Amino acid sequence: MKITDACVHPYPAGDSTLARMAIEAAELGFDSIVAIGDARNRYPGIEVLRGAVICAASQKEVIRQVRSPAVRDADVVFVNAGDISFNRAVAAVKEVHVIRNIHATRRNAFDHVAARTAAERGVAMDISMAPIVHLRGTKRQKALQRYADILSLQRRYGFPLTISSDARSILGQRSVRDIRGLCALFGMTGAEVGEALSSVGRITEPHQPVRVVG
Amino acid sequence: MKPRPPTMRAKRRYILARILPYGMAADQKQVYLSVIEAATSLLGDAAVGFAQPAVVFCEGGYAVVRCRRGTEKDIATALATVSAIADERAALRTVAVSGTIHALRRRMKPIRPLSGAGDVKFGETYFTVYRYPRQKVDLVEKGIKHQKSLFFTEADLEER
Repeated sequence: MKITDACVHPYPAGDSTLARMAIEAAELGFDSIVAIGDARNRYPGIEVLRGAVICAASQKEVIRQVRSPAVRDADVVFVNAGDISFNRAVAAVKEVHVIRNIHATRRNAFDHVAARTAAERGVAMDISMAPIVHLRGTKRQKALQRYADILSLQRRYGFPLTISSDARSILGQRSVRDIRGLCALFGMTGAEVGEALSSVGRITEPHQPVRVVG
Repeated sequence: MKPRPPTMRAKRRYILARILPYGMAADQKQVYLSVIEAATSLLGDAAVGFAQPAVVFCEGGYAVVRCRRGTEKDIATALATVSAIADERAALRTVAVSGTIHALRRRMKPIRPLSGAGDVKFGETYFTVYRYPRQKVDLVEKGIKHQKSLFFTEADLEER
């Protein structure tokens, strides 16, 4: 069971290099991180997976971008959430691993239909710590409401969750203990946090029946 | 005024938090204001009033935050939402919680810059280089106020 920070944005998108973020993540109790962009090097003590984010307005555009070489090489493919019909459609795309940015969408943008599809296809929803850490007032309250909604759907339908710091700097990375505390704000239990932190490994290498080769 | 006997005093807990970035000279009052702002916006006035958080001291890149016993988890969560101290980007990382400051002092390992500081130029901007243990390198833009910081490693710096 690998504890994974599901999304970090290293330099040049942020102000910290991937190597530095990897060192900090290892100190904060993570076994692996998913870095958006170019992640080719190996770092001692921590596994770095390559992630790609698709930002699209329609399912067609998502399918077109999924076929691009940069996305095909990625270990984890993220899609930014959109409106209700977009999220329902994206949850059914085979190549998509995680739907992110759900806190920025309208209420009920991810509904029970999308939740059922995501559970059937093994598509995860990402819970980002960045809005809880950096936003204040009503914006943070809305983010917490959205996460509580997602959690209630997850308990009912059983789709995977991932947890990410969404950090663009080492100052935005948080420890596993801090993440447990922050997730408790919207009612997530310690066991659910542990499950969510280790779900990236299950998404990239899903359990499959044993096949006899040759 | 006669002090209260120890059995009648409120029980306290002390939280040790590391201040990031490493070289930041954080003032105790500024840290207190950041902690109170973060805790009040996250937990509300009633909960923070009950928890009575206070910054006992700041030294060696660490801050010790005091709170009422039983509220230390909430205050530690609030510390995770601190993203600036005195308008400078910063973070507080909880290291340990204890009932005495003496126990926390044992956990404090001051992180000082290694020798070999220098200057480096990226594009048109000059940065001062601060080296720390574990190959960490902090680059601070040369200037008077609101300097940009970059967080590299020794290997990253050599590649450039």
